[in-house]
Amino acid sequence: MEVTLKVRRYDSGNGCEASEQSYTIEIDEQDTLLDALVQIRDENDPTLGFRGSCRSGFCGDCTMTVHGKGAITCRTKVGKAAKKSEDGVIPIAPIKMAKVVKDLIYDDQHFHWDKIKATQPWVDIDSRISEHDYVMSNERVKELRLAMSCTQCGLCDQGCVVLAIDKTYLGPGALTKAFRTVHDPRDTRYRERLDLLSQKRGVWDCAHCFEATEHCPKGIEPTDRIFDIHDKVIKEDLGVGGAKRHYKSFAASVRAHGWLDEARLAIESEGIGNVKGILKLIPLAVKAALRGKRPMPYFLHKKRPGYKKIRSIFEKWEVKR
Amino acid sequence: MKYAFYPGCVSKGGTPELYEATVKVAEKLEFELEEMKDVGCTGAGVLSREISDPINARTFAKAEMSNLPIMTICSTCQGVMTQAQHRLKDEEYRNYINSEFLSDEGLEYKGTVEIRHMLWAVVEDFGLERLKNIVVRSLEGLPVAHFYGCYLKRPPELMVPPEFEKTRKTALEDVIEALGGKVVKSSGRGKCCGFPILTSNEANSLQMCGDHTIDAKEKGAVTLVTPCPLCHLELDGKQADAAAYRGEDINMPVLHLPQLIGLALGFTAKEMAMQRHLVSTGAVEEALGFEVKA
Repeated sequence: MEVTLKVRRYDSGNGCEASEQSYTIEIDEQDTLLDALVQIRDENDPTLGFRGSCRSGFCGDCTMTVHGKGAITCRTKVGKAAKKSEDGVIPIAPIKMAKVVKDLIYDDQHFHWDKIKATQPWVDIDSRISEHDYVMSNERVKELRLAMSCTQCGLCDQGCVVLAIDKTYLGPGALTKAFRTVHDPRDTRYRERLDLLSQKRGVWDCAHCFEATEHCPKGIEPTDRIFDIHDKVIKEDLGVGGAKRHYKSFAASVRAHGWLDEARLAIESEGIGNVKGILKLIPLAVKAALRGKRPMPYFLHKKRPGYKKIRSIFEKWEVKR
Repeated sequence: MKYAFYPGCVSKGGTPELYEATVKVAEKLEFELEEMKDVGCTGAGVLSREISDPINARTFAKAEMSNLPIMTICSTCQGVMTQAQHRLKDEEYRNYINSEFLSDEGLEYKGTVEIRHMLWAVVEDFGLERLKNIVVRSLEGLPVAHFYGCYLKRPPELMVPPEFEKTRKTALEDVIEALGGKVVKSSGRGKCCGFPILTSNEANSLQMCGDHTIDAKEKGAVTLVTPCPLCHLELDGKQADAAAYRGEDINMPVLHLPQLIGLALGFTAKEMAMQRHLVSTGAVEEALGFEVKA
């Protein structure tokens, strides 16, 4: 089939603005977009820059933006991509959130590796364990293998709504990698790692919107892996600042009343001794009260009829913990 | 149609107008609501799943006993419950939760509960054609930007599975059109509102709130509508802070889904408790020809 690829061109070294260049080639519709880019580079334009290694969806190197959405180009058929636009033209650009080095090549050092490195992605094994075989449960191995199947393709980070506005957030890719180490029973730095991940820009900054899970092509469900870390952090009573206060207040009010005490949550999230923070709440509270929104805190917050049963669930969980 | 009605914490607290509007609109739709009172908070994605799964299993067991589907009015309640329901399909896990947490009370969750957000109940149980037929005040081209709340959309295999794709993928848009309104596609319609990170990263949260409300305004919407009260707490409640953070006026009204339906079914803005919103809904009322006090 004849197909046109409209490729974003840019060179960080020459100071020129980004532009678009169209290449019309003859290629089999079953070939992939990466095949098409290789053909263009080999036959039409040796200056076209892009990355791609394994050509079978294992290395995560050839992630780009196709038709405005993240795609692994070695897993995307030319024929299918062409059908997505009325004129059959396939627009290809580098991934959205990273700094572009040249054409479709992005700066993966900042986008991926620095963040992954920040999670200290190695398992520290107790020397006593390393002298012997360590038998893990099948279930645990299955969970770890799933996380280990991540190819760092970056699609989860592409979908992340927090990274879109704040590049300092670790992001679902790095947090999935972090899950792989904190979930490994051989590791000796469990609490230390969770403490690191529960600092600012870590696990509490996740909005839990499941975009990462929707974007992951491997079924790793990064949002659930972030929840896994979140649950471990809670169990270890870690976390910092407003996020920790928010969780503790939320849990305390559900434990005491069966349901959420929103007014108490607002106060305690700021911190009981934080006069400035609490004063900050007053204008909104007054405005809301004048409009008839008056959630009552503490002993004024009505208990649900089954609150004792809810409390008993908490107590059982606390004993297990 | 009768439901075990799960109103959620927020419709009884920070957004009481949602509860008031729901009860009135449900009556018009002939939805019989048996409110679940002896149940706990879903956990809202805040509590550890190790605690929220047993609490939700308890709610499911109670719904099973009443032999009614649960109806929620909150995307977050719906999402968290659906995820718990999915995990509890595993028989071994369900048996563990039943024996460890519910058996004391003589409860057992058998794995059969149905949970339906009011939006889905309107589309799937009541029907869009019937809805069109009972409209007494068409929204007549009112530009409405829809805002689902992420939990009602994702993960898609749980929230919009193939058998429900036809009814759920565009449910909110379909309801707006059935009421006579014009759908405005804002870029944030399927995104996170920013509420979940309000306390952990307020700046990011306000940035999101500003992005969504400003985008709806720039695309010509007169109002946003959401089926999620947590999105409402953010988009309505924090809009003034987002405006200050962004340094520009926004003034984008945000309606709860039942309020929008209620207006088309003939209720007044007051009956839909719209005076309780922090951002004035005057522009919506004016567009619909209500007399608006200056």
